[in-house]
Amino acid sequence: MVSLAEDVAIVAFEQTPSHAHFNDSEPAMIMPCVNSVIEQVGMDRHEIDFTIAGSCDYLSGMPFAFVMNIDAVGAWPPVYESHVEMDGAWALFEGFVRLQSGDIDTVLVSGSGKCSPGSYREGFSLQTDPYVHAPIGLDPRTQAGFQAQALIAAGKATERDFAEVVARSHANAKNNPYAQLSGDLSVEELLAEPYVQQPLRRLDCPPTSDGAAAMIIARADKARELCDNPVWIRAIDHRIDSHHPTLRDLTDSPSVRIAADRVGLHDGPVDIAELTVTYSPEEIILRDALGLNGETTVNPSGGPLTGSPFMAVGLTRVIELARAIRNGNGGRGVAHASSGPALQQNLLCVLEGDS
Amino acid sequence: MPQLHDVDYTLEYPYTRTTGPVIGPFLTGLRDGRILGQRCGDRVLCPPMEFDPDTFATLEPDLVEVGPGGVVVNWTWVAEPSAKHPFDRPFGFAFIKLDGADTDLVHAVDTGGDPEAMNTGMRVRAQFRDERHGSVADVYFVPEGDAADQVIQPGEEPVTITEHLIGLRINEPLYPHRARFAQGLLDGKIIGQRSPVTGKVYVPGRGYDNMSRVLMSEADEVEVSDVGTVVAFTELNPVQYYGQTETEPYVRCSILFDGTDQPVIGIDIRDMTVDEMRVGMRMRCIWRDPDERSVEDIDNRYGNIPETVYARFEPTGEPDIPADELKEHSW
Repeated sequence: MVSLAEDVAIVAFEQTPSHAHFNDSEPAMIMPCVNSVIEQVGMDRHEIDFTIAGSCDYLSGMPFAFVMNIDAVGAWPPVYESHVEMDGAWALFEGFVRLQSGDIDTVLVSGSGKCSPGSYREGFSLQTDPYVHAPIGLDPRTQAGFQAQALIAAGKATERDFAEVVARSHANAKNNPYAQLSGDLSVEELLAEPYVQQPLRRLDCPPTSDGAAAMIIARADKARELCDNPVWIRAIDHRIDSHHPTLRDLTDSPSVRIAADRVGLHDGPVDIAELTVTYSPEEIILRDALGLNGETTVNPSGGPLTGSPFMAVGLTRVIELARAIRNGNGGRGVAHASSGPALQQNLLCVLEGDS
Repeated sequence: MPQLHDVDYTLEYPYTRTTGPVIGPFLTGLRDGRILGQRCGDRVLCPPMEFDPDTFATLEPDLVEVGPGGVVVNWTWVAEPSAKHPFDRPFGFAFIKLDGADTDLVHAVDTGGDPEAMNTGMRVRAQFRDERHGSVADVYFVPEGDAADQVIQPGEEPVTITEHLIGLRINEPLYPHRARFAQGLLDGKIIGQRSPVTGKVYVPGRGYDNMSRVLMSEADEVEVSDVGTVVAFTELNPVQYYGQTETEPYVRCSILFDGTDQPVIGIDIRDMTVDEMRVGMRMRCIWRDPDERSVEDIDNRYGNIPETVYARFEPTGEPDIPADELKEHSW
């Protein structure tokens, strides 16, 4: 496990509900989250040292859409600001690394995305190799289909296993006011649904979602000053596998295994895991690669199968874990974010409560 | 309020990429009806790569023909093709190990829409499209028994550039405040939003005050004057980029309407030359007749006061406002 120059804690967090369609601009969606986290710590906006956001111009269908989002994080008086064209979890990573230099105390992190106006299958096919994959529209759902088929062919999972992930996720989401989908579904009724991407059915795939999330992280002394119950980021790491799906063992995730080792995942108990399970088979791969057993509660929030605002969904996993720890549902856990098709790139973040 | 249009557009970018020493011959081969792989030690990589995927060492270009037959080693059925897929009817995407290759190519298999025809281990064969452009989309696959013999006329020059027109479709309703602004223009009114915190009036409103970070609603909306002051202008000489529709030079200006705190930018002037424009000049909106107004060009981001609602902007003849008084608004 990598030693840290500075201890860093989450001191405030907020998320929107996962909306099927948010009928206003992305800044209007983010702004209440930002205002909430600033209010939680009782700071003035200009006192926050660094601001970073994660979003995707391809989702917005507008060049430089991310610049408009600065309206929401407050750009006056001028702020020290950065952006990643990735999920907000990677903005958190950059903010965390920025705090390690020790010269600033606080970072405002946000992530946001509106999937409903566009076609994420078309837009996100542009993440793939521009010569041999993107021109044939190789989309993330197709790659999830390959991953599911590979699991079945290897004897590592069945369609029933996928349905069980879906049923448990929807049941867990009944307690999550931010979830878009929830309810009691039987595995039998799920298996009776038609395929949309054989061997995947509709609810093996995420809903189309709009949403945003924001967080303030701080160095140790400042964190204790700003709140009574900081949630500590003990470690964070991200790793990537090949962008050629045919060169990967799609039934495993070497990048998750490396990241789990780097963050010292099993150096302590793993009470809760909030995982970016965008397609149900991914949970099976992640549980295995993370080495989780029955002692870990996986996706008590319901996870992305019940609400998946891309570019906010990974940061939301960190928030859901932080909330669970604050609520005393566990002392230590791991949040996972993913980028690229079929779990190509993975970020792990270990959180621990104040003790 | 009558129903306004939905925002519905496709944002396109024509990407042009150089192909390099390995992908270039591969795409040249596809245009010419052949599939090439790259030697990597005692293996053949297809799709070909410029580097050894295990060691990342650079590979000298050394291409060898593979296929056109192969075997499906993984597949998934696309029940609902996207607009960017190779077929508009359901089809299979597959990992295809071409004869003579040691890695798999991801590509589309057309079974005539029948998912039952797809299975792991099935034999497939390449088919080439009639129109080929040096792209991976020049080829597709069919079950071997369905394959037709093709005579492909090779091209002349090697493929050194590959083009990919990407498109992102956006479709959503006008946001409520945009709809009210657009409806105002149809009614010959300019609607702004007054910040409940600072009292500043923004036109058009964005649904929030970004200085105070507060959301604004219909209750914050005000009708503002259609008389204002030019705070900035320029002459546009249209560059003929992809999608450009303008051909002749014209004037674009920003006008600060009376009683507002933010100029409306992007107002186009067709009946005055740039020499006749002055910062500080007072101008009045001359609206089109009500039944000739359209707000179709207004979307949720762009389109302020489009030419489709006004006939022209006309100098009022009032004395100019000193430019120094406008410097906070010169945008």
